[in-house]
Amino acid sequence: MKTTFYKYSVFALIVGLMINATSFAQETSADNYRMLFYFKTLKQADNSRTLEVSFIARNKKDRKDKVPVYDAEIKFYNVLNDEELLLGKSKTNNEGIAQITLPESQDYLIDEDGYINLKAYFEETDAIDEQEETLSVQNLRLELDLKEIDSVKTVLVNAFVLDSLGSKIAIEEADVIISVNGMISKMPIEEGTIEEGEFEFEMPTDIPGDVDGNFIVYAIIEDHDEYGNVIQEKSINWGVYNKQEVEESNTLWSEAAPIWMYIVLTILLVGVWANYAYTIKNLFKIKKEGKALEMNTENQ
Amino acid sequence: MDLEIRKRELVKEFSPMLKKSTKTSKIWIAFLIAIILVGVVAFIIQAVKGHEVTGMRDNVVWGIYIINFIFFVCLSYSGAFISGILHFFKTPWKNSVMRIVEIITVLSLIIGPIFILLCIGRLDRLHYLFLYPRIQSPITWDIIAILTDLIGCFIYLYLTFIPDFAILRDNSKKAPAWRQKLYKKLAIGYYDTPTQREKLHKITRTMSAMIIALAIIAYSVLAWIFSLTLQPGWNSSIFAPYFIVAGLYSGIGVIIIAMYLIRKFYHLEHYIRKIHFIGAGVILLVISLLFGYFTFSEYFSRWFSHKTHDVNLLNTLFNRYFWMFIFANYIGVIAPIIILFFKKFRTIKSITFAAVIAVLGLWFNRYLIIVPTLETPYLPIQDSRPEFIHYSATWIEWALSFAGVAAFILFFILIMRLVPIIPMSGIIDHEREQKRHPKNLTQNQK
Repeated sequence: MKTTFYKYSVFALIVGLMINATSFAQETSADNYRMLFYFKTLKQADNSRTLEVSFIARNKKDRKDKVPVYDAEIKFYNVLNDEELLLGKSKTNNEGIAQITLPESQDYLIDEDGYINLKAYFEETDAIDEQEETLSVQNLRLELDLKEIDSVKTVLVNAFVLDSLGSKIAIEEADVIISVNGMISKMPIEEGTIEEGEFEFEMPTDIPGDVDGNFIVYAIIEDHDEYGNVIQEKSINWGVYNKQEVEESNTLWSEAAPIWMYIVLTILLVGVWANYAYTIKNLFKIKKEGKALEMNTENQ
Repeated sequence: MDLEIRKRELVKEFSPMLKKSTKTSKIWIAFLIAIILVGVVAFIIQAVKGHEVTGMRDNVVWGIYIINFIFFVCLSYSGAFISGILHFFKTPWKNSVMRIVEIITVLSLIIGPIFILLCIGRLDRLHYLFLYPRIQSPITWDIIAILTDLIGCFIYLYLTFIPDFAILRDNSKKAPAWRQKLYKKLAIGYYDTPTQREKLHKITRTMSAMIIALAIIAYSVLAWIFSLTLQPGWNSSIFAPYFIVAGLYSGIGVIIIAMYLIRKFYHLEHYIRKIHFIGAGVILLVISLLFGYFTFSEYFSRWFSHKTHDVNLLNTLFNRYFWMFIFANYIGVIAPIIILFFKKFRTIKSITFAAVIAVLGLWFNRYLIIVPTLETPYLPIQDSRPEFIHYSATWIEWALSFAGVAAFILFFILIMRLVPIIPMSGIIDHEREQKRHPKNLTQNQK
């Protein structure tokens, strides 16, 4: 609780510094933190591209003490030589994340090697120095094909880039993860390598799907030096519907009560009611004796 | 012959209590009837308009009705337990409090279940509980337990009344004819012969042991209605013994309050003495320590385990219900302990004050068990509006609650008009015992 309070105090402090950093005390506190500015890109299944910055302040002495930098404006650029094309800007949320999504139709400036050069930039304030991070990715195209080849459920992944003439050039090598959608997160099924632009994988036949047997297959390339993060997905009716097994052990919820319950309740109730009957029988005996006494008195 | 004279003396001594109808008592009875009538009006409104007129909604489906139900039923079980213990172990000072305890037991077991009927939205379907019972359900166990216990308590109460009915039958020649007939009928030809006395003692003793066991079982079943669910605040393995201790706590408290009022109103200082208050006060002290221990264990384990739902519940308790929590679980436990722990504080008034604090604290403890838990449910409910989540009782619920308390007091007064609150047969038995063992302490010794 104390730690949370402390974190939020510092968090508020940093926000304060960004707005008004004339106070000496605030400057001193911000100096204790080192700014971590991470930039990454993810190419989505619909070929849109997400640019994301994570902006975190980490205590220089206590590395576990990390505070998100909130409400910081991040500008995203596409750079080519001296030319800088502003793609968009976004403010960090309370987790220190700023994000923009560019559509598939976005025109990028591409260098002679076929790379898109991207830059994320945070302008200097009185409290926090400017931050800048660049990355270069090729515009990888990932195709996912799900086919039954000779009754074998096969996952086919094709990965290529387009040259300036629009011709497909298969990539040489990249690690790929094949996953399916689980209840909470994506469940990895296979990890392999795309070679010469292709990867083939035989899908297991016992993967649970939804009630109709559908599940989503993902092909994911993570943190690749040349392509960044790329994901592709497709829904297929290859799953099996596992009907939930009826839990038999908890018989309290079953149609009939467990036998021990009938036995225990019967013993208890018979025991108690037998005692009541015994008591009432004795009361009748008392009554009978009383009547006899009354009769005797009357006769006398 | 001496015995007959003594019986006549006792009837003479206690008959003013049976006939007493002072202006104050008349006003009291009229006041109680007025409260009951308001309750009847509230019930009619509730029956016509439905539960809409109460504070109960989708989330908080149980309100003060169920709290009163638990409170009264616990009172009854603890009464049965205490009465059984007093009788079974032939406690020396039992005679002065025995009948108070027995009447509390039976009356609260009649009044309590009425409250659960008020909770039922469709009373016209009540018989379904009997037509389609699920033996696996704790609710069914509770119905069986309450009915069995009610009959058991009635039989037990009646057994303890028989010798007094017999004394009143033989010594109420000046009483109205209906009263004489009633005593004759209820005395079932008991003439205190050695065989009759032996039989009656034997079955009363067996019944006293039986109702101790019954009280424990029925008590536990009542606790299981809550603890067998997964609701935060209810799902606890110590709930059954916790309920038993809590019930005893309130039971002793109500007995002390009743002793004080009866002693004051009927001038029974000769029979209900300071030693009885000190005895009951010491028991209240022991039970309050136990109750405090159970309460601490219950909340401590919830706080320490830090499960999300338990934390939500504790947040509700320590924010929205802060003062009620402090009163119920701190003042309601610590104040009686402080008053009763020090000998110099143990006066009749202070012991009664401690009992009042304990009883009020326990009622609020019950409130804190029911309402905050329902306000922080284990499963979220869709389209839950703030007015559905937060419960506050309406005047209808309060009117019916006070009507229940008024009915309890009124019936108590009416029963005291039928038989003396101090069992005459007990006094005679005690004196008989004294003659046999003259060195024993008398119950009237201070």
